[in-house]
Amino acid sequence: MAGDMMMSQGKLLVVDDVHKSFGSLEVIKGVSFDMDCKERLVLMGPSGSGKSTLVRCINWIEPPSAGRITFDGKLVESGKYDIRRLREDIGMVFQQFNVFPHLTALQNVALGPLVVKKTTRKEAEAEAMELLAKVGLAHRADYKPGQMSGGEQQRVAIARALAMHPKLMLFDEPTSSIDVELIHEVLDVMVKLADEGMTMIVVTHEMGFAKEVADRVIFMDQGLIIESGSPSRVFEHPQQERTLSFLSKVLLA
Amino acid sequence: MLKWSIIFDNLPFLLAGAWTTLSLTVVSMIFATVAGLLVGLMNMFGGRVIGAITRVYIEAVRGTPALLLILIVYYALPRIGLNLPMFPAAAVSLAVCYAAYIAEVFRSAVESIPKGQSEAAFSLGMNQAQALRHVILPQTFRRVLPPLANEFAALIKDTSLVAFISMEDLLFKAKIIGARTYNVFSPYIGAAIIYLIMTTPVMQWSRNLEKKVE
Repeated sequence: MAGDMMMSQGKLLVVDDVHKSFGSLEVIKGVSFDMDCKERLVLMGPSGSGKSTLVRCINWIEPPSAGRITFDGKLVESGKYDIRRLREDIGMVFQQFNVFPHLTALQNVALGPLVVKKTTRKEAEAEAMELLAKVGLAHRADYKPGQMSGGEQQRVAIARALAMHPKLMLFDEPTSSIDVELIHEVLDVMVKLADEGMTMIVVTHEMGFAKEVADRVIFMDQGLIIESGSPSRVFEHPQQERTLSFLSKVLLA
Repeated sequence: MLKWSIIFDNLPFLLAGAWTTLSLTVVSMIFATVAGLLVGLMNMFGGRVIGAITRVYIEAVRGTPALLLILIVYYALPRIGLNLPMFPAAAVSLAVCYAAYIAEVFRSAVESIPKGQSEAAFSLGMNQAQALRHVILPQTFRRVLPPLANEFAALIKDTSLVAFISMEDLLFKAKIIGARTYNVFSPYIGAAIIYLIMTTPVMQWSRNLEKKVE
């Protein structure tokens, strides 16, 4: 027990034996891992392996059915207040962008600080403008999502998450719904964030991104972690048959 | 026999009735919309008990004639000491009735917003109320306008039920003219034309809005 306590000291995130079921279907069957500040984790695995659900459990968009999640030294409990605070500290980028269609790019980015952190409008919009510039979209500040490409919408979504000054960013297949020729726009922004020291968990099949950015790759299948290690180890010397067969499919695609 | 002269001679009289119809419609609609929004939200987000209570209200009202509600409020409630003058009684009954329909309009509009929108709001740390106010409801606004305009047109017609409590709306005025002139045909045709003049633009507006939303 004392050893466990020592181990989790200084860890930003500790996921301990997390399970998630939808009805009688168990999607995550006991997953444990932890990560340090500034660490970059890439989650891979075939569809239905539970990787998206796992990421959604971390900020309680899907409350875990069992297990413990400790974030920033605090055990996350299902009391509403804690969950809300947790979500302020964890940014999330979705596969379908989920930008707010009734707001301009600038308003999308400023909304979180305005509503949740009660920042003044002037401050929120000034920072939103900086963040849009950072993701290369200063010239789209007054555009609504309907007038933007998928790549642009996703970059607005990244800026929107960054506006809350998260300690951890979750990316749930951020490039899966984007036209192939625009994917690099989004990946470039993510690489830039990683270079700045952002702690991130990325669900993706982008091998190039994983090789360039990830400190560790976790490979999931059927609700369990079956392999993890540095990208070079997992990609070049996979220990598991299932990892190998998945990687060959991704490489062929 | 249709005699246009009867309609024209009594036009101010009919228009006075139309004014009553229109003001009753507007007042009832305002209350019904506010109440409908609240009932709809309570039904969706109020938890199990409030959700069940509002569901019973919605289904009870939708399953009974509006006329019955008017008769209860105007004739039955005074027996238990709740005495409302004619106009407020009519407005309250119609508002109670239409709030149930409008609650369903709001519910289906909120449910038509993709789940990812509230997930994104929650992921920023918003609570349920903040997500509704800043993300969900602004998006439903455009979607509820066409069905609300439809309800408004339906309400213009349903206000004619207040003739049963002898309120002098457009229909009741037409009835009076009929009794006075021994010609029921002409005043009723006149009333129909005036009803159409009121409802047609509203329905057309609703159709235009629907096209815009699509």
